[in-house]
Amino acid sequence: MPILSANGVTHLYNKGTPSQSKAIYDINVDIEEGELVGIIGHTGSGKSTLVQHFNGLLKPENGQIIVDGKDIWKDKKSTREARFKVGLCFQYPEYQLFEETVYKDISFGPKNMGLKEEEIHKRVLLAAEYVGLKKELLEKSPFDLSGGEKRRAAIAGVIAMQPKVLILDEPTAGLDPKGRDRILEMIKSYRERTGSTVLLVSHSMEDVAKIATKVLVMNKGQVEMYGTVDEVYSHSVELRNIGLNVPQVSKVFEILKSNGMNLGSAYTVEKAAEIILSKGGASV
Amino acid sequence: MIKDITIGQYFNGNSLLHRLDARMKIILTVIFIVSIFLCQNFWSLGLMLLFTLVTVTISRVPLKMVFKSIKPIAIIVVFTSLLNIFYIKGGTPVVDWKFIHITSNGLFTALFMALRIICLVVVSSMLTYTTTPTMLTDAIEKLLSPLKVFKVPVSTLAMMMTLALRFIPTLVDEIDRITNAQKARGANLDDGNFMQRIKALVPIIVPLFVSSIRRAIELADAMDCRCYTGGPGRTRMKQMKFCLRDFATLFVMVLFVAGIVVLNMYFGAVLVK
Ligand SMILES: Nc1ncnc2c1ncn2[C@@H]1O[C@H](COP(=O)(O)OP(=O)(O)OP(=O)(O)O)[C@@H](O)[C@H]1O
Ligand SMILES: [Mg+2]
Repeated sequence: MPILSANGVTHLYNKGTPSQSKAIYDINVDIEEGELVGIIGHTGSGKSTLVQHFNGLLKPENGQIIVDGKDIWKDKKSTREARFKVGLCFQYPEYQLFEETVYKDISFGPKNMGLKEEEIHKRVLLAAEYVGLKKELLEKSPFDLSGGEKRRAAIAGVIAMQPKVLILDEPTAGLDPKGRDRILEMIKSYRERTGSTVLLVSHSMEDVAKIATKVLVMNKGQVEMYGTVDEVYSHSVELRNIGLNVPQVSKVFEILKSNGMNLGSAYTVEKAAEIILSKGGASV
Repeated sequence: MIKDITIGQYFNGNSLLHRLDARMKIILTVIFIVSIFLCQNFWSLGLMLLFTLVTVTISRVPLKMVFKSIKPIAIIVVFTSLLNIFYIKGGTPVVDWKFIHITSNGLFTALFMALRIICLVVVSSMLTYTTTPTMLTDAIEKLLSPLKVFKVPVSTLAMMMTLALRFIPTLVDEIDRITNAQKARGANLDDGNFMQRIKALVPIIVPLFVSSIRRAIELADAMDCRCYTGGPGRTRMKQMKFCLRDFATLFVMVLFVAGIVVLNMYFGAVLVK
């Protein structure tokens, strides 16, 4: 049974006004437990709109969202449950920090769940550890952290709710390459350690290729493709047609292939290096 | 939900009222408001109503929107009317039963007051419906510019007003975003008693202030970078010019005021001293 599914989900913004617009249309997708799904798509393709449906922040005009086998709009209680089962971390989450200390800010979510003090304490420390925040930072004001630290503190605030599904909307936006790699590394190890399902919205196909097990491609409010990294990335022509760029190494491999040197396919620099090294001796 | 708040309720159009100079519209509105309180009998009151109706018709603003501007003051109108009816004495008694005493003066005052307030709101809403917020601030700046003699920083004030108006939609978006982010962490904004609800706003207000201050600093830097110094000597991209239609409308307004004064003198006051 999929942990998360959307059945015919359609969403209209500004319903009933002249500026009404269809942001997503007839979305059908099943996400299995434990996957790490990368969601990619051109800007405005409806990625953020879709993920806000998964935790019940947006109500679909048509269709259902099923979390853990339950329709989240069946009643009020189910909707609130979905908030905690599906943790959503928005783009630029550092702008939602508000407490006096980082510790208190991370405990905001667990507190809203009505957990006991001890349990909250445990969860905060664990979440801080997952995102790699040092213990001494926890007593600082969140406004005194560096940009990257703020980002990780905000993500910890969502992780501390221990959701079954963690959704991150462009968690690496606006970070330098090092900060980006750290976040990606963190997401990967978080998933491996907890076994939870992760959805990662990203503009970078390279980032997605690095850590995702499956890829969901959105285009103009609809699902264009959904499959494993290899399945999706091999359609480079279609991807380019909808305004997405396959990673640069894949392009290099394609060019090599068209020039008569078939090395297979690679979507990350590391994988490419591996292939080249393994074949190096034979073909050069 | 929060998007429903309409501030700067401009209604796009190209009617005579839209094309009038904003300064003239402000002046005319002030004159009208004063003359509203000159009406003393049903004839001048009728003239005032007629004038209001004509203004609304010329503006081509849909009646639905006009009613929307009256709705918030309906309670005030009803309340003051009731007070007037029961408490104003004088004139011929209309109802005199047990403790209820209603006089003609009371009834008339109530009627006059209600109609005055409604006309006042309708005509001033015509001003905001047909003038963009930027035009309004420009016009206010121009009209207040004589105060510069007294060292009032008029252009700075006008710039502040323009910026404030400009950032309202941005702030509304920001509030939406922060609210969603905190809801995603289980913030409960819809339930609970009054105190709980106030407390629930803290996670929204703090980030909102932080980001507003950040935005303000960035904006100030950006203005500095473009050598904005404010103060005297700044010119406008859109120059305001009075033209024939402005003076023609002013003439109509003068006729209207004269009409009210004449009707008042000719027919006398309705309220008995
Ligand atoms: N609050 C809103 N009100 C009205 N329209 C909206 C709103 N949010 C998004 N839209 C519209 O819905 C469509 C999908 O937007 P969405 O934010 O989901 O795209 P996205 O894939 O997340 O884009 P990006 O990569 O730029 O974040 C866009 O056309 C956008 O203009
Ligand atoms: Mg988005």
